[in-house]
Amino acid sequence: MEDRGAFGFLTVVDSPTHGLFGGYLLVDPLGRPLEFHCTAPVKVSRAQQILYGPTLHAHLHGDRIGAALVAEATVTPVVVLTDVEPMLTVRSRLGQPLALVRPCDPLDQPVDTAGFTIGAARVSPHPGDQGDEAFLRERLAEFGATVDLREPFERIRAAIDEAQRH
Amino acid sequence: MPGDAEVTVRSIRAGDFALPTATCLPAVHPGIDPPPVLRLPLATHWPAVTRIELRLDRPKVGSFRFASPASAPGAGGAAAGCPAAPPPGARPRRPPRTGESPPEDRRVRVTPPRDVVKLSEKFFYLLQPDLETTLQAERLEFPRPPFPFQLEGMAFLVPRHAAVLADEMGLGKSMQAISSIRLLVRSGQARRVLVVCPKGLVSNWARELGEWAPELVVAVVEGDQERRRWQWSLPDVPVKLVNYEVLVRDRDLVAELGLEFDLLVLDEAQRIKNRGSHTSAAVRSVPRLRSWALTGTPVENSPDDLVGLFEFVAPGQIDRSMTPRTMGAAVADHILRRTKDRVLKDMPPRLNRDERIELTAEQRETYRLAEEEGVLRLAGLGQEATIRHVFELVLRLKQICNFDTATGESAKLDRLAAELEEVQASGRKALVFSQWTETLRRLRESLGRFGALEYHGGMSTTARDEVIRRFRHDAGHSVLLLSYGAGAVGLNLQFAQYVFLFDRWWNPAIEDQAINRAHRIGAAGAVTVTRFLATDTIEERIDEVLRGKRDLSDAILSQAGTTVAGGLTAEDLFALFKLAPPRRAAA
Repeated sequence: MEDRGAFGFLTVVDSPTHGLFGGYLLVDPLGRPLEFHCTAPVKVSRAQQILYGPTLHAHLHGDRIGAALVAEATVTPVVVLTDVEPMLTVRSRLGQPLALVRPCDPLDQPVDTAGFTIGAARVSPHPGDQGDEAFLRERLAEFGATVDLREPFERIRAAIDEAQRH
Repeated sequence: MPGDAEVTVRSIRAGDFALPTATCLPAVHPGIDPPPVLRLPLATHWPAVTRIELRLDRPKVGSFRFASPASAPGAGGAAAGCPAAPPPGARPRRPPRTGESPPEDRRVRVTPPRDVVKLSEKFFYLLQPDLETTLQAERLEFPRPPFPFQLEGMAFLVPRHAAVLADEMGLGKSMQAISSIRLLVRSGQARRVLVVCPKGLVSNWARELGEWAPELVVAVVEGDQERRRWQWSLPDVPVKLVNYEVLVRDRDLVAELGLEFDLLVLDEAQRIKNRGSHTSAAVRSVPRLRSWALTGTPVENSPDDLVGLFEFVAPGQIDRSMTPRTMGAAVADHILRRTKDRVLKDMPPRLNRDERIELTAEQRETYRLAEEEGVLRLAGLGQEATIRHVFELVLRLKQICNFDTATGESAKLDRLAAELEEVQASGRKALVFSQWTETLRRLRESLGRFGALEYHGGMSTTARDEVIRRFRHDAGHSVLLLSYGAGAVGLNLQFAQYVFLFDRWWNPAIEDQAINRAHRIGAAGAVTVTRFLATDTIEERIDEVLRGKRDLSDAILSQAGTTVAGGLTAEDLFALFKLAPPRRAAA
C-alpha cells in the first residue's frame, strides 16, 4: 500500500577504490528517515566496460543496482527522485513516478521545458511520467517547502562514505 | 611394349600440396630422380574459445529501518530504531583512537559521537535531516534566530549522552541547552529532564525556558518539604528545575521516589569539580541516561577540576593518573568550547544580555517596606508632591536593589562575583558601572580577589591615569569599577571585553556612552554587555518605560516643558508608583 507521505531518494556513489555503491533513502514528509538500503560495491571488469559500451551505465544503474534497492523497500513512496540520469531505467521496476533532480540557479532559464523548478532544484519527470507532472509538481512543492530536494542525496553519500570506513 | 623401361608413377594424394604438373613427371628417364613431395598440413587443431561473462549479478543490499518518532512533546519513550542508551550508571566506552569527523558542510548536521560504533546507529544520525530543516519542519519558533554556532552547539548536544558545553560566557549556553532539550522531547528521546542550577539563577532559567521552549511544561521544585515531594512526583512534566541546595537536601527523597531522568543538565557545573563535596555526590547519585554540563570554566585551577566534572558526565572516562595530553584526547569528543573571537563572524560586535536578578529574601522585605512607606508619603503629600520627592524615593529603592540597607546583602553582587570568576579564569577584563560611588566602594571591598580598581570623577587626574595603567597592563586586575559620570573623560578601554551595568542610568544614551568605552575602534573582539535588573522592582518598571521610548529625543524632554532627569518625564516618574502627577509638578 502506498504511503502517501513518503518520498524516495535513489542514487549511486562511485568509489575509486571499491566500485559503485547504490543507496535508497525513504523519508517522511518532514524529511526524517524511514528506511535506508545500500548495496555492496559493484565492480565492472574492463571487458564488460568495452562490450557493454554506452549501454553499461543504464543497465548497471537501473537494472542491477536500482532494481536490487527498490526490491528491498517495504515503504512505498509517492514519488522516487534520483540525481543520476542513468538510474532512470529503473522506472520499469517502479509503481510510482520517477523524476530526475538536478541543481539549478533559480535565476537561470531552464534548458528543458519538460520539467519544473522547486527551490534550487530542477525536477524532470521520467518521459513516461510527464503526464503526471501536475501531480508531481503539487506533491513536491509541498514537500520542497520543508526539505531541499537535493539535500537527502547528501545524506546518502555521507552514509555510504561511513559504510566504506566501517 | 617389349623393351620399354619400367615407369614409376607417384600419385599425389589428397592433402598433399599441389605442385605444378611439370614437376610430377613419371620417371621415364632412368637418369632423373623423382622429385620430393612436400607435405604441408592445412590445419592442426580447433581454436580456443574464451568466454567473457557479461551478466552483472544483482548486488547484495543492506537494509536499515527507522521508526517514525513521536512528535508530541513528552509523548512516548525513545523511538524504536534509535540507538540504545547505555543503562544508568554504566561506564561509557572509551572513544576509539581513530576516526575523522565528517567534512564540514554549509548545513548544520547532527553527527554521531565517536563512541557510537554500530553502523546502524551511525546511520540513524547521518540520515537525519540537517538541523535547519528539522527546525523548520517541526515549526519550532525562536524569539530570536539562533546564530550558526549555536545551531552547531545543538548539533553537538543532541546526539550525546555525555557532553560538556564550555562556551565562553555570553554565547548562550542555556539557550543551546534549552533548544536541544526541546528537540529531544519532541522526538521522544527524552521524557523526563532535570535542570540543576545555582539558587540565584532559578528564575532566570524559568524565564529562559518559557522564552525558548514555550511548549514545554516546567515545574520548579522549591518550597517546603511536602510541596517539594509533590513536585518531584509530578508525572507528566517533561522538565523539572531545581537548585543545587534543594537537590542536596532532597537526595534521599529522590531515591525514595525512585526517580530516573532521561537527561540531567547542570548549569555552572564547576560547582561539582570537588568530587568529595555533598553537591557532587548528590548530583552523581541521580539516576540518568544523559549527563550534560554547562560551564564556562571546565578547568579552573587544575586538571583535577575536569576529573571531578567527568565523574558526573562520563564516570571512568578520565582519572587523575592521566597526563594532560591523554586526558585531553579522552575527553575531546565530549567537550565543545567556543570563544567569542572564533565565532566573531557570526556575532554582532556588541552582545547585550539582560540579567534579571531575584532579590534575596531580606532585600525583598527591606524593599517592600521602603516602597510602601514611600508611596504612602507621596500620596499623603497630595498636590504638594514634587518630582524631587518621587526622585528621592526612586533613588532609595534603586539603592536597596543594589545593597540591602539593613543587612548589606546583595543578590546582584553574588551574581556579579560568579560571572567575574569566569572572566578572570579566561584571562579577560571587565568594566562595572554604577551611578553611585558608594556602591563602587562596596564593590571594591567585596571584589578584592579580582583585583578590583575604582575609577570615578572624585579622583585626581594622576590617580585616574595610574588606575588605567594598572588595569591595562597588570593581569592581576580583572575588573575596573567606574561611575557613569566618569564617562566625561575620554577613556580608551577597548581591551575590556565585558561590561556590566550594575544599576541602570535613566537615559540609554548615557549607558551607550559608558559601554562604548570598551566597544570602540580597536576592540579585539565582541563586547558582552550585561545589564542587571532586579525583578519585580522599580528597576524593571523603569526599564519598561525606557524600552517604550524608542526615540531618544522623546525620552529627553517632558510635555509640560519641565526638564526632568534624562529619559523620563514627570508623568513617567509618578506613574512608576501608579500616581497621577499634581497639576503643577515643581522641580
